Amino acid sequence: MNGPNTSWLLLAHAGFGVSGCLAALWVFTETLNARSGNAARIQLAAYVTAVCMGAAWICGGYWYVHFYPADKALILKGPWPFAHNIFMETKEHLFFITGILAFLLPMVAREKLDSNPLARKLVLAVAGLLVITGLAVEGAGGVISQGVKAALLQAQSGGFAQ
Amino acid sequence: MSTAVPPQQYKLSPVTSGFVLAAAVTVLFNTALAWAKDASAPLTAFMASLTGHHWTTHGLADLLLFVALGLVFATTGVAEKVGSARLPGVLIGAVVVAALGLVVWFAFV
Repeated sequence: MNGPNTSWLLLAHAGFGVSGCLAALWVFTETLNARSGNAARIQLAAYVTAVCMGAAWICGGYWYVHFYPADKALILKGPWPFAHNIFMETKEHLFFITGILAFLLPMVAREKLDSNPLARKLVLAVAGLLVITGLAVEGAGGVISQGVKAALLQAQSGGFAQ
Repeated sequence: MSTAVPPQQYKLSPVTSGFVLAAAVTVLFNTALAWAKDASAPLTAFMASLTGHHWTTHGLADLLLFVALGLVFATTGVAEKVGSARLPGVLIGAVVVAALGLVVWFAFV
């Protein structure tokens, strides 16, 4: 279990991830009403999405590589081993898909969205997939945290099953 | 006389088309590599030996593949042969298959 000294890194990971999802939702809603007047705003939101997801990748990745092994050992001894075996295993790879989509978004948002329905459809697809996969990753993070908590509560109330 | 452009005639720039197709290929590669790592301890160990952790190597491989394929597809026009109008569907299909592939593998395999 990692202490408060590393918690800020985990909170930054989740915070940047949520911010990236919100920025992608911003792109999605602006694109539904795409016109020449909001083109710059769509591109700005797309860059905000990419920067937030990139920061979430770096913060989460550093924490995962350096501090997660202790939590993993705890989870696997506790009552919710699936928090690692299913949720973390899926999350750590699903996040790469979210990251790739986030870096793709600013490229597709440079198209002339007000006059090209195909480009609008593409931006809606990328932004929509980003929101869905991003929120799935966030939810998985919640289950993993609960897996650590359940293991600690079990240890406190009588120790781990051998 | 109508000047409206038929939907199938709208195009994307070569760079956009190339990187969309590269993203579709990369997310599928990502899932295949996750399966391979989970099934092969030697592969995981080899990837860990490259950067210190298999996850770091996996992420870098995805990023390098995405950029390299994007540049190749953008310059060779491969994505345009697939057809601009089909690219949103190709990307959505690839992401759905890749994501479900991860969930099913780690939940049931």
